[in-house]
Amino acid sequence: MKMQQVLFYILQTIFAMVMATFFTSCKEEIFTPNLTDEFTLQSTSNGGTYKIKVALPDHYDSTVKLYGTVYVLDGEENFDFVANHCRELSNTISVNNVIVVSIGYGKDRSIDYTPTKVSSITGGAPQFLEFIKNQLIPGIEQRYRVDTTRNGRVILGHSYGGLFGAYLFAIDNKLFGNYILLSPSLWYDNEITMSMEKETRNANRGSQQLVFLGIGEAENAGRMQAPFEAFYQTLVKNYSAIHIARNREKNLGHVGSKDPNIILGLQYYFENRSF
Amino acid sequence: MKTFLSLSLLLFFLSSNVIAQTESSANKTLLFRYMTIEPAIGIHTNFGTDLLITNLVQWNPTRRLSLAAHSSYNINNIAQRDFNFIKTEYNYSLNQKFGVGRTFYAKRSSHSFFVMGGVKYTAFKETLYNPDFDKVSSSVSAISPDYGIMYSLKKGVKNWFFSFRMYIPLYPWPTKGSNIQYIDANRDNIALEAGIGVKIK
Repeated sequence: MKMQQVLFYILQTIFAMVMATFFTSCKEEIFTPNLTDEFTLQSTSNGGTYKIKVALPDHYDSTVKLYGTVYVLDGEENFDFVANHCRELSNTISVNNVIVVSIGYGKDRSIDYTPTKVSSITGGAPQFLEFIKNQLIPGIEQRYRVDTTRNGRVILGHSYGGLFGAYLFAIDNKLFGNYILLSPSLWYDNEITMSMEKETRNANRGSQQLVFLGIGEAENAGRMQAPFEAFYQTLVKNYSAIHIARNREKNLGHVGSKDPNIILGLQYYFENRSF
Repeated sequence: MKTFLSLSLLLFFLSSNVIAQTESSANKTLLFRYMTIEPAIGIHTNFGTDLLITNLVQWNPTRRLSLAAHSSYNINNIAQRDFNFIKTEYNYSLNQKFGVGRTFYAKRSSHSFFVMGGVKYTAFKETLYNPDFDKVSSSVSAISPDYGIMYSLKKGVKNWFFSFRMYIPLYPWPTKGSNIQYIDANRDNIALEAGIGVKIK
């Protein structure tokens, strides 16, 4: 075999390896299995069956402590990452860890997370909210030693999940006191969630809130940045008892910015939570 | 998705072997060992939302060694500039990269593989003008590294030839995201470009 051919095969192999690495570079995170509970819950409001996973803190004490609870939307994708980083951050900051509750998919996420019906696969957020409020949260609070006040509950969502979190903030502000909203799709239905916030503002403006808003700097699809900024400014201007922070993750897009913003959002929560 | 990727890699492997086999019989005096200028238009793999106006200058000081300069002006999100009371005032990026690589010759074409590096400037501004709320604008102006690998195909042996290239950005790296099914960041920005090239020397 000629030297040139050998060189060619080497180059070819390197190129193929770079390509393969490029497309498979995501590492899978798995939370410690023996600290995880798993069960399904059928919603009485929309009929969907949701896979629920619960990550307990190390040395979970079922008799003494009351733990905060982080409810994670798109749980099937985000659960392990969130649970691992809650453990890591709480250890680093030396604060009590939380219980992480993953809400899997029972219906299509675009149905469950969107507040109004603009197509056949949207508009199920009111029913999904009923499920969380009347079945999931009472179930979790019955099973585990958790803080049952709104200040003890966190909702974490990305994209449509962030939209659903903003919807909760506006429509049922008594349910959650902490919001980690990442790249929220606030453009949805002519910014309908922001209209809802405006309508309920007077009732909610005095309540204590912790809000972290995250987005990717490279989200340039012509719909994400302006509503994000408007929502942030609205909250800062109108809510007197709010703890709020925002982050624009440099050079990253809608999905790429998610994990870094999850970490920053959780860190903000652990450092500023009010219990 | 994984099947698609495996097939892509297999096709690449097979096509590369064809190149290797035909190369030995290719005309050793093919033209593409000199300087070429190759203007092109292209898209990103977010298909249809970005328009790229690009140019590749390639110089082969020797038959195999290739040096390249690639410039690109991208008009981003070109089709949807007004959406749900959100107006895009401007949205573009400028890329300038330089690279080094190797060229392989077939009978009537050549194939070059480059490692490229440079900078990217991105600027865009959106305004929310929904009458229910205060008017709010948000703008981003950012410089970032831009490096990756490029494949360039030249088809034709005369002074004018068809040019196709694919650039795969490797920044940001690693791609952050827990679900490989998603196309985002650099995977969303693979550039596919086609145009006409000219040999100038």
